Amino acid sequence: MTTGAWICLWAPLAGALVITLLGTSITRAVAAWISTLSVFTAFAGAVVTFVGLLGRDHEEREVVTSAYTWLATPNFRVDLSLLVDPLSVTMMLIVSGVGGLIVLYSIGYMDGDPEERRYFAYMSLFVFSMLLLVQAGNFLLLLAGWGLVGLASYLLIGFWHERPEAVAAAKKAFVMNAFGDATMALAFFVLMWQTGTLNFLASFEGAAGLSQTAVNLVALGLLGGAVAKSAQIPLHTWLPDAMEGPTPVSALIHAATMVTAGVYLIVRAHPIFELAPSISDLAAGLGAITLLVAGLVALVQTDIKRVIAYSTMSQIGYMFLGAGLGAYGSAMFHLMTHAFFKALLFLAAGLVIHHLANEQDIRKMGGLRGVMPKTFIAFLIGSLALVGIPPLSGFFSKDSILASALASGGYGQVLFVAGLVGALLTGLYTFRLFFVVFLGEPSPFVREHTHDHAHGEGPWTMMWPVAILAVLSVVGGWLQIAGVWHPFGEWLDPIAFGREHLALVEPTVTQDYVTSVIAVALGLLGIYVAWMLYGARSRPVPRNAAVQDTLEHKFWFDELYDLIFYKPAVLLTRGLRRGVEEPLIGGSISGVSVGTRETAGVVGEAQTGYLRSYALAIALGVAILVVVFVSVQ
Amino acid sequence: MQGPDVLWYLVLAAILFSIGTAGVLLRRSPLIVLLSLEIMLNAANLALISFARLHGDHDGQIFALAVMAVAASEVVVGLGLIVAIARRRLDLDVDRLRVLRG
Repeated sequence: MTTGAWICLWAPLAGALVITLLGTSITRAVAAWISTLSVFTAFAGAVVTFVGLLGRDHEEREVVTSAYTWLATPNFRVDLSLLVDPLSVTMMLIVSGVGGLIVLYSIGYMDGDPEERRYFAYMSLFVFSMLLLVQAGNFLLLLAGWGLVGLASYLLIGFWHERPEAVAAAKKAFVMNAFGDATMALAFFVLMWQTGTLNFLASFEGAAGLSQTAVNLVALGLLGGAVAKSAQIPLHTWLPDAMEGPTPVSALIHAATMVTAGVYLIVRAHPIFELAPSISDLAAGLGAITLLVAGLVALVQTDIKRVIAYSTMSQIGYMFLGAGLGAYGSAMFHLMTHAFFKALLFLAAGLVIHHLANEQDIRKMGGLRGVMPKTFIAFLIGSLALVGIPPLSGFFSKDSILASALASGGYGQVLFVAGLVGALLTGLYTFRLFFVVFLGEPSPFVREHTHDHAHGEGPWTMMWPVAILAVLSVVGGWLQIAGVWHPFGEWLDPIAFGREHLALVEPTVTQDYVTSVIAVALGLLGIYVAWMLYGARSRPVPRNAAVQDTLEHKFWFDELYDLIFYKPAVLLTRGLRRGVEEPLIGGSISGVSVGTRETAGVVGEAQTGYLRSYALAIALGVAILVVVFVSVQ
Repeated sequence: MQGPDVLWYLVLAAILFSIGTAGVLLRRSPLIVLLSLEIMLNAANLALISFARLHGDHDGQIFALAVMAVAASEVVVGLGLIVAIARRRLDLDVDRLRVLRG
């Protein structure tokens, strides 16, 4: 069983190395298949591990396996160890399964790109990093995976490096993530200093004996990392820009897997977060704010991928809300279903973009229903799942988070209302996108690009992953039906390291059903409004210049950060250049050189070139020395 | 071991050294300057040998031999330079050869 976990971890890395080392001696298609196979091998390993765990009792579903000691001192020791438990296996299955489908899809999407080999090497590297992150048995290894996924994300966002926007977006993502990495590293330092270990189990036990300040610091640092990686306010501005990368990358990294790592971190480190309730509340609050802000901004975006990107932020906001309130099972459940339907939406959007010669502006689209009927159905399933219409997957997972919010006191109920408003917004922005892109008459732009695509909507490598994800988006939610059965929750239950129950909040069945009714009604209302405004076009879209402006500028976050961080930094450096660098440092160096030159000019006068004057000077010197020596004696 | 007192040898050496110094300082021809230098060196050798005689050991004599070897080498280089200057039809005058100045 542990062999499966190790295979799962190393297979994608092997794929990346093979593609890199073979270089141009393999064709692009071979590189693509090596990458796909390596990720599916990882999936097979994950399945083997899963089956192995299923065969054990609840109490024994937590296996630590070490390859070797990475670092050892008398008091501190870190192994290269994997922790195989239901939580990590769930993540392994999602990452390698969805990842495999998306890499397969990339074969069609990236076909003909001159640097396909590099792309597939990066993709395998990403899957390896993500698996390292979720399988790590201690915080240090987790941090290594955390940093590596940031690197892979940077490389893939900037994959089309000849485009300045892509390079800028990659840098932005890297810098904002580096901020989160730093706070996380600080949290680990505190943890190491206070408990003397970074192993999950030992440090959770040690954390129980720490002062409240120390625990709060650790939790806050971890939250910083989670917020940056998961694009939550206030470190969210990189995610929409990250859409500059190829669409499969957006689907895999910036929707299905990497951006949910923050949720995974909170669930993994939940004993620490439970010891710091104020920080957990902060996480939930940030999630609620993010889901509202992102939902509002998504209403006015005109780039098909950016709409979905804001929707991703919003959905991860739901997960943070759930994880912050202690509904870890619900958060993980939403993470899984979100991976299915968001990857589906991105891949379907990729089909549209691919079909329309890389056009992403929805104002040029329209009427694609007749042109791409299969994509239409896939997108519809993804959209309905996203809005949470039963019986699709999003319904079960989102509503279980909202019901948990309702069940967790006054603060939870405020967040519950925010979540409901978010549900309304989700219906509105999702179906605005859907109606604008797929309904109505084909736009002139669409007609122009239709006739030269006689071979259907895409190659099978692209259509099959979309089809599989569509099925998963429909059935994925049936793993957990409130009041009926909870296999997903029971499966995740033992990860709490000896605790009785994983979830701190258990909504009653009534609360579950009340929530579902309200949330579905609001989602349908959102769809109805979108239909009136964008589908039937029976009402003009209400516009308010100030609101429109604010939303189009994404609540001025970029401008604000420019003002707070960039401008002062530029002013400070300019001041330092004028006040310190030029007069002091530059001045002293040029002073030394000028002084040397001037002194040399004076001394050089003594070198006349007259041989006899030198001889005279020597003779005089000797004479003086003789007089001195004689007189001294 | 009879002969003039060591003092007289030293006086002779001082006279020779002064003559040489005057030659180096006053003459302009590099050839004569080189000759004057040789006179100075030999004055020094004379003094060394005188002291060796005075102290009754051989250190001074050995030292004088070493000075002769160095002087011979120096003359080779110096004369080589003078020949090179003459070949380029430059004036053999140390006051005119003053390109190397600060």
